[in-house]
Amino acid sequence: MGRHMHLAVSLNIAAADGQDVLDFGQISAFVRDLEAAGVDMAIISDSAEAPSSSPFEATTLLAALAAVTDSIGLVASASTLAHQPYNLARRFASLDIISHGRIGWNATLAQNPREAANFSRPEGFSDDDFRRRAKEFINIVRRLWIGWSRDALLFDKASGRFHDPEKMHPMNFTGEFFSVRGPLNVARSPQDRPLLVMSGLKQADLDFAIRADVVLLDKRQPPEARAACEEIKRRAHEAGRDPRTIKMLAVADARQERDGGSLKALCLSSGCDGIVLTVQPRADALKDFVERLLPDLEQHGFAKAKPGRTLRDRLGLDEDGRS
Amino acid sequence: MSTRQMKLGLFLWATGHHIAAWRHPDAHVTAGIDIDHCIKLARTAEAAKFDMVFCEDAAGLREANVNIASQTSRSIGFEPISLLSALAAQTERIGLVSTASTSYNEPYGLARMFASLDNLSGGRAGWNLVTSASPIEAANFGATGLRPHADRYARAREFATVVTGLWNRRAAGHDGESFSVRDRLDIPPSPQGAPVMVQAGASDDGKDLAARTADVVFSAAQTFEEAKAFYDDLKARLAAYGRQPDDVKIMPGVAPIVAATKAEAQAKYDALQELIPDDVGVALLSSYLSISDLGRYPIDGPLPELPESEGMKSRQALVIEQARRDGLSIRELARYFAGARGHWRVVGTAGEIADELQARFEGGAADGFNVMPSWFPGELDAFAKLVVPELQRRGLFRKDYEGRTLREHLGLKRPV
Repeated sequence: MGRHMHLAVSLNIAAADGQDVLDFGQISAFVRDLEAAGVDMAIISDSAEAPSSSPFEATTLLAALAAVTDSIGLVASASTLAHQPYNLARRFASLDIISHGRIGWNATLAQNPREAANFSRPEGFSDDDFRRRAKEFINIVRRLWIGWSRDALLFDKASGRFHDPEKMHPMNFTGEFFSVRGPLNVARSPQDRPLLVMSGLKQADLDFAIRADVVLLDKRQPPEARAACEEIKRRAHEAGRDPRTIKMLAVADARQERDGGSLKALCLSSGCDGIVLTVQPRADALKDFVERLLPDLEQHGFAKAKPGRTLRDRLGLDEDGRS
Repeated sequence: MSTRQMKLGLFLWATGHHIAAWRHPDAHVTAGIDIDHCIKLARTAEAAKFDMVFCEDAAGLREANVNIASQTSRSIGFEPISLLSALAAQTERIGLVSTASTSYNEPYGLARMFASLDNLSGGRAGWNLVTSASPIEAANFGATGLRPHADRYARAREFATVVTGLWNRRAAGHDGESFSVRDRLDIPPSPQGAPVMVQAGASDDGKDLAARTADVVFSAAQTFEEAKAFYDDLKARLAAYGRQPDDVKIMPGVAPIVAATKAEAQAKYDALQELIPDDVGVALLSSYLSISDLGRYPIDGPLPELPESEGMKSRQALVIEQARRDGLSIRELARYFAGARGHWRVVGTAGEIADELQARFEGGAADGFNVMPSWFPGELDAFAKLVVPELQRRGLFRKDYEGRTLREHLGLKRPV
């Protein structure tokens, strides 16, 4: 087949058990190994059902990783309960500028029950309310990211005009859960919008997934994943979007995978554009992954995309300036 | 050599602290989108042994008038916690302090972010607590679904209590007026125990909250008397909370312009002042004096007769009086304000600037200074190259870091 199979690696730093937590040196060395091997992106998350003892939060860790890597895509999970849309949009736009266009936000539509209790919502959210709120949140963030036109900054010292006031657009949004005037006080980022990576989708969310750049199909058997892929691509086509610009990745656990061949088979039978391998946040698991599984994945045709100017380029996604 | 040494912060802000900094011929005009530039500035400050880099923040634009805003560089910049996390990976010793609002965050989330920055930097993080009064910010959080609260300082007090409780591993569980938190913080402490607490509130409520919770206080004071009064007031409030005067470091802002001769420094300042667009200067002066329509008077004429207004503070009244006495035009007065932004401006040689800093430090008006270079990188480079060695020569500032963490730099106790 002519197309590349994309390869992402997912590291949930909060999944550590016991005292064996990774320090920044270990995590950054691992991500640089992934970068050297041509892995498209590292997905960092920091939320688990039980409290962890990891010393880091995902978005701050991502900023530090951006400062010590050059070409790998960097994605962080950030919860719609733990952040406000304006703050989250600023943070990821900043990360995209810091990394020169290598950032994505993993927005999950699955609720972690621990969060509401720690974010002043002891009554919690029903699953339905949580999803409706998350969708409104995601729509706000996507609009805030393009509140400044690409050519808004003039930097014209002689005339004294720093930016063009006509090219800064407030959004004036009022919805069911949020009201946000905008615009961001962060410039338009190199990718226009950081990648929107969606996970935790249920069947009822598939129409919403057409906003995503990357969809993670977790907890699905290959036939089910194939059906979800086809469904999302069909809906994207109906909505006037090129279905090839949404990348579907099948999720697999690195602990259970012995070789690249079986993962290639999984990718093909799921009808996906690539795979995400979840790696346990322990030094021995990282070492095993880099030394054993990664070379075999390369042999089987994964991680062959050329590094692009941005993560969007690398994955063959369009520049995303649509409003 | 004196035993007590001053603390120095670098107040990092876009293209520089002067309102027209970005128009300076050598200013790095793309500062707000250039991470390498920010890394370079932090490393310059680190090489000069500054205690910390400090970032201001607002969750929204700073100026509502888009015409005025578009003539300044302040509408775009990095979100500071992300910026400082990136700087943590590119520096070794310097402290990293970011502003964050108690009105538009939740304590559990904020405690996690700063604890993570503290770990990424090996114990160099600090949080500058602000309560956010700007209506521009409020409009970005119109219906947050947060619980209603009587006043923002009550919310800030509760917020600070919850955050420090999480950092210091006090008992889990909080159910208060504005916030509820069930679990302990899931991030372990850094080598300095907990991030340094910073504040800058000048109101009575602000000073009281600072006396209760802050390790470092930033202030704005033009004259020695003003600085001294603030210093004495704040230190006197500490005893009520069982704290010692030395537990809090007071660091007023200073906006220096330094050159080899006084005349050269003055020429640098005058050239910057020339770059302030008239409408920007007049708009800033109007808002400072609470006059809405100053723009309709001749700009080269004197200030018009102004009615006594309720909102006018005594310092503003003094400014008006002085402008009249010195025969300043609206333009001259506007430039004077726009340039200094209410902070202490010192123009001169390294020796003269060191004299001024020394007088406030030894006169009991400051424990150190938050340095606000007029434009970047030039005025930071000049301060690091000329003023810092002069302070070191006088024994007023360290020649090398004594410790590894921000608390060690500042001589602060570990939190209990």
